[in-house]
Amino acid sequence: MRAPRSLYSRLLVWLLLPLVLLGSLMLIQAYYDARRTADRAFDRLLEAATLAIAEQVQWQNERLWLDLPPAALEMLATGAQERVFYALYNGQGEFITGNARLPGDARQDVESGDTLLYRDIDWRDMTLRQGVRRTRLEDWSLRERFEVRVAQTREGRAALTLSLLRGNLAYIGVMAGVAVVMLLLAVRSALAPLTRLRRAIRTRDPRTLAPLELPLPRELAELRETINELLARMRRVRANQERFIGDASHQLRTPLAGLSARAELALRQDDPQAWHDALKAMRSTSANTARLAVQLLSLTRLNNPEATPELVTTDLDRVARTALHHAWHACHRAGIDLGLETPDTPVTVRGIDWQLEEALSNLIDNARRYGARRITIQVSGSPPSLAVEDDGPGIPADKRLLVLRPFYRGTSDGEGSGLGLAIVDGIARSHAARLILEETPSGRGLRVSLRFPGEIS
Amino acid sequence: MKHLWIYLMAAWLSLPALGSDTIEYPASSESGSSARSLIVHGALDLPYVRPLLDDFHRRHPDIALRYRNFTTLSVHRRFLEDEERADVMISSAMPWQYRLANDGYAQPLETPNASAWPAWARWRQELFGFTFEPIVIVYHRELAERFGPITSHADLLQLLETHHQALQGRVVTYDPARSGAGYTYAIEEVRLSPRYWDLVAAMGRANTRLVDTTGEMLDGLAEGRFWLGYNLLGSYARDVVETNPDLKMAIPDDYALVTQRLAFLPRSAPHPETAEVFLDYLLSEAGQRVIAEQTTLGAVHPALQGPGTAQALRESLGDALRPIRLGPGLLATLDDLKREALLSHWRREYHRWLNLP
Repeated sequence: MRAPRSLYSRLLVWLLLPLVLLGSLMLIQAYYDARRTADRAFDRLLEAATLAIAEQVQWQNERLWLDLPPAALEMLATGAQERVFYALYNGQGEFITGNARLPGDARQDVESGDTLLYRDIDWRDMTLRQGVRRTRLEDWSLRERFEVRVAQTREGRAALTLSLLRGNLAYIGVMAGVAVVMLLLAVRSALAPLTRLRRAIRTRDPRTLAPLELPLPRELAELRETINELLARMRRVRANQERFIGDASHQLRTPLAGLSARAELALRQDDPQAWHDALKAMRSTSANTARLAVQLLSLTRLNNPEATPELVTTDLDRVARTALHHAWHACHRAGIDLGLETPDTPVTVRGIDWQLEEALSNLIDNARRYGARRITIQVSGSPPSLAVEDDGPGIPADKRLLVLRPFYRGTSDGEGSGLGLAIVDGIARSHAARLILEETPSGRGLRVSLRFPGEIS
Repeated sequence: MKHLWIYLMAAWLSLPALGSDTIEYPASSESGSSARSLIVHGALDLPYVRPLLDDFHRRHPDIALRYRNFTTLSVHRRFLEDEERADVMISSAMPWQYRLANDGYAQPLETPNASAWPAWARWRQELFGFTFEPIVIVYHRELAERFGPITSHADLLQLLETHHQALQGRVVTYDPARSGAGYTYAIEEVRLSPRYWDLVAAMGRANTRLVDTTGEMLDGLAEGRFWLGYNLLGSYARDVVETNPDLKMAIPDDYALVTQRLAFLPRSAPHPETAEVFLDYLLSEAGQRVIAEQTTLGAVHPALQGPGTAQALRESLGDALRPIRLGPGLLATLDDLKREALLSHWRREYHRWLNLP
């Protein structure tokens, strides 16, 4: 995996890359332009030289005659001291005179007047620019055709091309410089709101969950709204937590105050029997309080998203049997009929056995406390599920969601903590299982089931 | 047409022929196996080149140097026929040397001396004119006594026109039809002034003798057969005039052509490193000082002053000096048709007075 690049460099790369490409194209274009311009300028020399030579061509002694003007050759050698070649050919393509047998040009004549052709040729390991002039003698009775060919090396053209290019280069360089600076500034200013947002988040009081209020461009405003939504959720979560802590401390304070009052009362009496009764009551209360503390602890643990143990393959049958074993003694004492229904084949799910046992024991406990006489633990295979069915008073349909909230009690006279179903709900969620509260098929009592997702082999 | 050129060139500037004479300087024994070789082919007679070679050998004793002197014709022909490869080519036949360089036979020399060489005496870092030899008039004491000294072309024209009877057969110059040098000078003089044709006509009227070489002219002058020689190579004439009190040399003060020996390094040089050393030496202040002080060839180096240098000539003659331009105009000189055209014109002017009724 590649390291994530900064937005800044990503923007720069994607903006600079086309810029560089464009700049290179401009350079190439500038080079060819300069070369063409230089060629045009120097081709005038070829034109002038061929004309100067052609003007000296005469018909004398029954043949073409040339009194070569030295100036025609001198003008081809500029400051760059080019090599110069010339040749005169007659209409039949025969060499008349010259210092080099230059090649002809196969292109067609123009319609009227002299034909002038320029081209680059490679000749004896030299790159030459050749000019060919085709014309004819205009005499009284004579129409003799001839061809003047001159050529020069390209040093002067190269020098002119270079100096033209240098001028263009400066121009392109300045443009590129301005473009790059503008680009840097633009990217920097475009990314400035991001910096502001970062600063605004960094400078916040870590305890505050107030929404972010700062003006941002549209793209970042969306991000700001998302953050604000997250913050709102966190505010709700915190409110819940605060209420939970308030409820929890209240729940713990009440039995502790009762204990304290009971001890106070007993101390004012001298009768050992009264002490004994007080101590028994206090033992019962402290046992309940301890149980409440345990439930609070497990609820906190279940609600901690960072401490989720890994799910392993768990046999629901064994879980049910263990829960039955733990609850058996208390039920037996209370005269409750506790039963277990399991399918023939073992049912396994991904889960944590102690949590599922805890859920079952909470459900059995709840049923027992709310006056059930008969409790049945059911394990079924398709879909895999755990259920506890009782013949107690049941829960009216409109309260079935409310009972899942911590400290909500179905009845005010019960001795439960109001945490049992909340814990079961938490366990169901950590197993991605559905918690279903419904009436028993018989229409009486409550059936609470955990339906697990899918079946695994 | 080509054959005609070959005959012409055979006559080019050759002093009484010494054949293809050779000087060899073996590498000193101390240099042992590191000895390097250098072969120079030139059209520059031994008395003039020897001081240079001596000095060069003293400075670079590890280089085994072989100098072969030819006529300009053979040096050119040998080069084209690839008969014996040379490291340095020296010749006074400027158009031929220029043509070889123009055709790409020379390689550039990129040393500080070469780069600093005056632009008028150099072409493309490839071709270097390292001497400065004016074309002069030499006349006999007798002529000066009878008609006064000659200092310019105008003097000469007037003398020929007024005393053509007395001067019948007493004047000598190059035959442009047989001498390449004479032809080159004629081309240049035609370009300088149309009055040149008057001069040719006047020379024709005085029945001027036409010869092939400066040497022949100097011989005839020394013997007293001729009273005046026109267009002699100054560097060769100076030696003769200095030893012969009967002869006087004049560099015309209205215009004086100046020719140069051109040197280049062939691309086919077998020892390019030593070749560069040698050519760089020719262009160095040291080499040029030898030319100025020990020869009559004339030093070009701008740092050198005093007798035997281009600077001194420039100071005394100023604008009158017309060095033959080192440029593509020289190619026109070699054009066959141009040559025919010029020669027929030349003949016509030479016989102008004969044809008069």
